[in-house]
Amino acid sequence: MSDGVKEPVAAPFLLRVAGVLIGCLTALLGLGYFVVAGAALGAFLLWPRTRGRAHALLASGARRLTGVERWRRSLFFHDTFPEHRASDQQILRYLAARTYSGLLCAVVVGLVDFGAVLAGIFAVSLTTRASMTWVDVLSQVVLGGTLLFLAVQGLRALTDQDARLASECFGPSERELLQRRIDELATSRAAVVQAVDVERRRVERDLHDGVQQRLVALAMLLGRARRGRTPERADALLEQAHKEAQEVLTELREVAWRVYPTALDSLGLREALGGVSERSALPVRMEYDVPDPLPPAVETAAYFVVSETVTNAAKHSLADEVHVAVRGSGTTLTVVVRDTGAGGADPAGSGLTGLHSRVAALDGTLRVDSPLGGPTTITAELPCA
Amino acid sequence: MRVILAEDSTLLREGLVRLLAEEGHEVLAAVGDADALLREVEAHAPDVVVTDIRMPPDHTDEGLRAAVRIRELRPEIGVVVLSQYVERNYAAQLLTSSAERVGYLLKDRVAQVEEFLDALERVHAGGAAIDPEVVRQLLIRTTHSDPLTRLTPRERTVLEALAEGHTNAAIGEKLHISLSAVEKNLNAIFDKLGLHRTTGYSRRVLAVLRYLES
Repeated sequence: MSDGVKEPVAAPFLLRVAGVLIGCLTALLGLGYFVVAGAALGAFLLWPRTRGRAHALLASGARRLTGVERWRRSLFFHDTFPEHRASDQQILRYLAARTYSGLLCAVVVGLVDFGAVLAGIFAVSLTTRASMTWVDVLSQVVLGGTLLFLAVQGLRALTDQDARLASECFGPSERELLQRRIDELATSRAAVVQAVDVERRRVERDLHDGVQQRLVALAMLLGRARRGRTPERADALLEQAHKEAQEVLTELREVAWRVYPTALDSLGLREALGGVSERSALPVRMEYDVPDPLPPAVETAAYFVVSETVTNAAKHSLADEVHVAVRGSGTTLTVVVRDTGAGGADPAGSGLTGLHSRVAALDGTLRVDSPLGGPTTITAELPCA
Repeated sequence: MRVILAEDSTLLREGLVRLLAEEGHEVLAAVGDADALLREVEAHAPDVVVTDIRMPPDHTDEGLRAAVRIRELRPEIGVVVLSQYVERNYAAQLLTSSAERVGYLLKDRVAQVEEFLDALERVHAGGAAIDPEVVRQLLIRTTHSDPLTRLTPRERTVLEALAEGHTNAAIGEKLHISLSAVEKNLNAIFDKLGLHRTTGYSRRVLAVLRYLES
């Protein structure tokens, strides 16, 4: 997931124990708050005309206490919460539930302590007075063990609940996450379709403005040669036409390459990128460090990120060189293209938008950093898993 | 004749300039966008303007808009537009006011030097030059719904030649039939299409084209 609650790295055991104990204290705070604020605001909460204000007041205090809980969860349990603002209703509900379970937790902790004291007394009496029979001892141990087991179970359930309550209030719920993901996918899907259309338009333009014009010019040369008044004139035109035919072929090769670099399939990303630097009007310094084989879709996206940005740099940036770094780290491929130009690249331009869509379709990110005066840095991160 | 060219591809523009010069025409100006074309027409008053449709800045229909404008302002100037594709609407826009001194050719037609020069001459002489391919496609597109289906194959070819802007004599030469046979065919066509018999072939082209678009 790109923006879900990450599986937190579990905090050390002692830290979590401390967290649970602190949680018992904050639950007392919560209880105190509800008692005091409830007593002070209770009447106003019942009266329709003041209900709104009173409710808001109650919630704003609750929000502060909830902030404390949030801090406790992140500090002691290493929870990471995404940006999310809960509603007043959610905050109050959370604080109430959390206070209740915290108090319950305090009770269970108290019982465990009480049990520990009893067990201590029992152990001491075992060593001093030998009046107890084996049956007594055994029954005490079984009873104590059972109670201990229940208390530990209760504690576990309560700490789990604490975690669950926190993630429900401080993070988006499962449903919201799904909704968010669906929106994201719908957007990127639409963007991909649009990017494909933009590409097609570009191919059409390439064919129309390049290849076709050249072919028409070539046919015209041949037509003129046939009408040539003198053999010398006709020969000269034929020679021109021959040259022109070779130019057309070069142009056609270039267009085909821009549509899809076949080297990607046959020789892989590294070679295809080598082709980009050979073709580029600017000198390109290429760093390539990818230990593992990449999925084809990632290779293609990385290739287009580099080729488009290098072309853009050559066209618009006035840079004198471009630096390309492609690094793979098992799960992510990072592509950084930096030019020494004047900056001011427009992320909303059609080229960059197309790239953005291409990268987003693979759940990757594309960042454009191009302050006026340069330098321009374009960073694409593509997940390879 | 005195010509002004508008074509954004340098290569093609140069080729056209050379071709026209070799044929003894005078190229007053050769430009790469529609605004420059309008300026040059204003400055030089040419006999004929040849313009590409797709030109900078947007590569949509700048050349066509300029052509329509020239026809409004200076109807005495012949206008030939070069189109990348057969575009019914473009043809219609260009031909709505009149079918005199107007040409609508596919760009590739330039490669067939004789035909291109011939079309230019026809427009210069006050006639029309509609690309055979355009006519063919217009005919194909209208066969399903109309009396054209009632034409004999011979009448069809005569109609196509007519729509391209040829005179009766030229049609006879083109199809290797006598002038009277051409006239007979034409009368049959006009009867079948319910068009009034008129003289002056440009008006006939206009009528035919309008009919084809209906």
